[in-house]
Amino acid sequence: MGLSRVAVVASAQTELRGAWSGAQHIDLISSVVASVFKGTGISLDDVDFVIDSGSDVLDGRSISNCGFLGALGAHHKEEARVEEDGLWAALYGVNKIRSGASSVGLIVAYSKPSESSVDAFWNAQVEPFYQRPVGFGHKAATGIQAQRYLKAHGGSDRQLAELVAARWSAAEENGGVAIDEVPNADTVLESGAGATPLTRLMLARPVDGAVAVLIAREDIARRASRAPVFITGMGTSMDRHAFGTRDGATLASAEAAARMAYGKAGWSDADADVAEVSGSSAVGELMAIEALGLAGAGQGASVATSGKVAINRSGGALPADPIMATGLLRLAHAARQLSTPELYGLNGGAGGPTKAIAHGAGGVGMQSNCVFTLEV
Amino acid sequence: MANLNKGRHVGIVGVGQTHHSRRRTDVSQAGLVREAVDRALADAKLTMDDIDTVVIATGPVLFAAVNQPEKWVADAIGAQLKPIVRVTSGGGAGFAGGLAGYYQVAGGFADRTLVVAYDKLSEGALQYSISTLYDPFWGREFAVGIMGFSAAYWRARMDVLGHTEEAAARVAVKNRRNAIANPYAHVKKEVTLDEVLESKPLCWPIKLLDVPPISDGAAAIVLAAEHVAHKSCDRPAWIHGIAYCCEADNAAERSLLLSEPLALAAKHVYRAAGITNPRRQFDVVEVQEPYTCFELNYYESLGLCPPGGAAELIASGATELNGDIPVNPSGGCLGANPIGACGLIRLIEGATQVMGKSENTQIKDAKLALVQSGGGWANLRGCAVLGA
Amino acid sequence: MLSAPDTWAIDMPPLHAELNMPYTLTPGRATGTFLAEIGTRRIVGSRFASGIVIAPAQDFSPIDGESEYEFIEAPATGVLTGFTTVDGVTIGLIRLDGCDNDFAHRILGDEEPTLDARVEAVWADGVDTSILAIEGFRIAADAPVGEVKPFGDTAAPVEVVKYKLDLQYEHAYGPYYGRMFDEIRTNRRIMGVRLPDSDSALLPPREADDISHKRTGTWKTCLDTGTIRACSIINLEFLGQTRPPPYVYAEIVLDGASTKMIHMIDIDDIESAKQRIKPGTRVRAVWREGERVGSLRDIERFEVIDE
Repeated sequence: MGLSRVAVVASAQTELRGAWSGAQHIDLISSVVASVFKGTGISLDDVDFVIDSGSDVLDGRSISNCGFLGALGAHHKEEARVEEDGLWAALYGVNKIRSGASSVGLIVAYSKPSESSVDAFWNAQVEPFYQRPVGFGHKAATGIQAQRYLKAHGGSDRQLAELVAARWSAAEENGGVAIDEVPNADTVLESGAGATPLTRLMLARPVDGAVAVLIAREDIARRASRAPVFITGMGTSMDRHAFGTRDGATLASAEAAARMAYGKAGWSDADADVAEVSGSSAVGELMAIEALGLAGAGQGASVATSGKVAINRSGGALPADPIMATGLLRLAHAARQLSTPELYGLNGGAGGPTKAIAHGAGGVGMQSNCVFTLEV
Repeated sequence: MANLNKGRHVGIVGVGQTHHSRRRTDVSQAGLVREAVDRALADAKLTMDDIDTVVIATGPVLFAAVNQPEKWVADAIGAQLKPIVRVTSGGGAGFAGGLAGYYQVAGGFADRTLVVAYDKLSEGALQYSISTLYDPFWGREFAVGIMGFSAAYWRARMDVLGHTEEAAARVAVKNRRNAIANPYAHVKKEVTLDEVLESKPLCWPIKLLDVPPISDGAAAIVLAAEHVAHKSCDRPAWIHGIAYCCEADNAAERSLLLSEPLALAAKHVYRAAGITNPRRQFDVVEVQEPYTCFELNYYESLGLCPPGGAAELIASGATELNGDIPVNPSGGCLGANPIGACGLIRLIEGATQVMGKSENTQIKDAKLALVQSGGGWANLRGCAVLGA
Repeated sequence: MLSAPDTWAIDMPPLHAELNMPYTLTPGRATGTFLAEIGTRRIVGSRFASGIVIAPAQDFSPIDGESEYEFIEAPATGVLTGFTTVDGVTIGLIRLDGCDNDFAHRILGDEEPTLDARVEAVWADGVDTSILAIEGFRIAADAPVGEVKPFGDTAAPVEVVKYKLDLQYEHAYGPYYGRMFDEIRTNRRIMGVRLPDSDSALLPPREADDISHKRTGTWKTCLDTGTIRACSIINLEFLGQTRPPPYVYAEIVLDGASTKMIHMIDIDDIESAKQRIKPGTRVRAVWREGERVGSLRDIERFEVIDE
């Protein structure tokens, strides 16, 4: 009695924009759901279930999935709402197919941060008696996180700024992100205070967008694609809520999530060719890179833009953070890098990438982390 | 949709719930969660170290002012660094939590998953936050929470299906009486048929005594894979089938008479569990009735009787404690209604019946239980079959 | 892989929505006791059975969830273990002397904070039952190292903390709602889009049909008259209600449409309404007097059409 293998068959995303002022949530959702099937030979009729990620607080609606069920393609199917980043919704979907209950699943994540206060979304997560009233929130956590990291490992503002500039450039090329002007390192340094020591552009930029990922049991995936991208390992972990009680310069929960995923995949280490990594800030991304085992402690900057593993060819979260969808986008991009590497400037054919890591985070100061391993 | 030929068998091996109340002033949300979890772990003879993953479920976050509350309350149960995720589904959140946990075990992600569901409704302005369910452009200004449309759909069923005020009042009489024996319920007052019929109309035909209380409460279960279940209990409540479906609320053909998502879920679950005659095969049923009229709708949508037969079924006494298909021996939501936890509480009540350890009225020789839950615009609906 | 919904420029600013929600939160025993004592400038913490000391007080150790503890009083001095400035406010992590955790609070004063600097609490006058009874912490290099002391006879815990969540939204109309509400405002008519393969209109209009997920068709005007599909008689009061009870809540399918809209019908009393208004009853929109704004409220109510 074996559990089924599950593969990513296809994905679709809207352009990620600072503000999709000409569309509602429901429009972004229905457009990705309509697009994701094209060319796969699979249709909405074949989908057994839909798992969706969104936030009541960002949407301004309680049980916000309720108003979008039709657009999600969920009518008369099984549906579940995970109120966490879409990578966790994908985790749920994979478990459903592995269990034998279903064979084709649709995972959708979306948000329109432009319609509300992103600070309010984050700050409302913070425990309401001691932390929230003093103004502690995601930005404060992100700033202190950076301070701790830089104190432990060193690193300059300019290094961080160069990372940010590289990510924006990649996003413009491969990320499906609307960008007026790609900043250079100086622009990043001069972008104004974000959360000291981080400047504004060193913090992930919230954007509007939606993404859909189609997953299927192996036999069906093989009908749709010659080289399905298998999900071989998944892991998650959630750290302590009070930021001050977490380990200093490491993302302990990302390390635990990676260990869990690699263990399930049978990987002895982060032996991937490409990686798509989330991060709330340039430092958060470096910490994630290290926690995933792609670099030693404090060495993230040395591999972030060059080296054996191609990291964040999509640009990652810094130029485009569609909150609640960011991790699912990393999965979509990582899978595409394995199936169509040329689109990302990677070698194809026999020498092409065969293993990928996708990472998502949630919570103030990246409290919770999720890691997937993918293989063709 | 559980087709258990390939997946791993999953059972409920431990349960716990708080003594639900109108208002708990002695604990925060975190403390409420801890109480239920302590009881479930003790019942399962486990510690948090034995738990692989945790699923937390609550009603809409605007009910209680903390966004993504799992991130806060998990510390209170000593689950630091464990895999934790939260799911939500309006009133069906508790059931959705059980479902998500089920798939973590069935899919091999975990061998033991703790699911905890709660709501602390005393903390917020319930009707106001429910009004935000509606589209801000289209309908929010005229909406009347869940009650307005629930009453309207009941009205539509009244003439066509015979779901009279009297039939619904019988649900109120039955469940309120059953709740008296439930140590976790907090509304324990018998009412007569006349008292229900004469109670104040709130959203007619829904009247005061057709309506459950609002409560603070938490519930937790431990789900285990077959090979470790015996370490927790001799007689787990195996999940033979579980499904949760939805319908787009704004459809021309949306039936107000039958709950199509519930009927769909039941079809999948019955096939997985080998149920061909639900009325005869189930020994006990637990349903989540946000208003009494829904219980009648569930009888029909679950196939316990044909459409139009619900009034007759309840009048016959078949769904009473001593009937052949007792429904809500726990008292249902009318005894305690911490909304986000209710679906999990129904799973607990169904499970303890088949495990032979019900803390309210044990239905003799109960072996097979049907559990129902749901939420949203009555368009998110699911059910499960539990057997020991 | 990139998809886009229909969009075209419409001249409508976003819809402003506000959620102003009042709460009565329950802090629980440890936090409630902290809040009860903080007004007298005493900082309550928890010493857990393992020896770990957490301040401000918690019922469950944030390290591992242990739940047995005694109250202690923590000194108002400690060490700054991290800080950042966001929107002009400096937030720091402070570890009070004798305690094992860092907690967040504001850093006050002009002195440049440095890591590991000693800090002391600055008390706010006239504030109690709140963490903000401590206004913040200031750098105090010479602050003596304080001690944690047992705190046996703590005051009864605060049981209710009032709180308010104010959230603001600017909801984009998108082209479909944009046109529909523009037609309501400008031409006093309700337009939907035809369902795929049908002459019947979908209200509210959108790009894809909820059921088949096919693209919707051309625009169609619905009549002001319609049929009630479901209704109930509202007789309760609630926050945010726009009309005094009793009145009828109705789900109405306008002639020409196949999906419902929600609206209200005025009534004289409940008993006559039960007879007169039911599924199948024909109704007509009563538009508001004066200038329309482009919202469903431009229809003041519906009324029964007497045959």
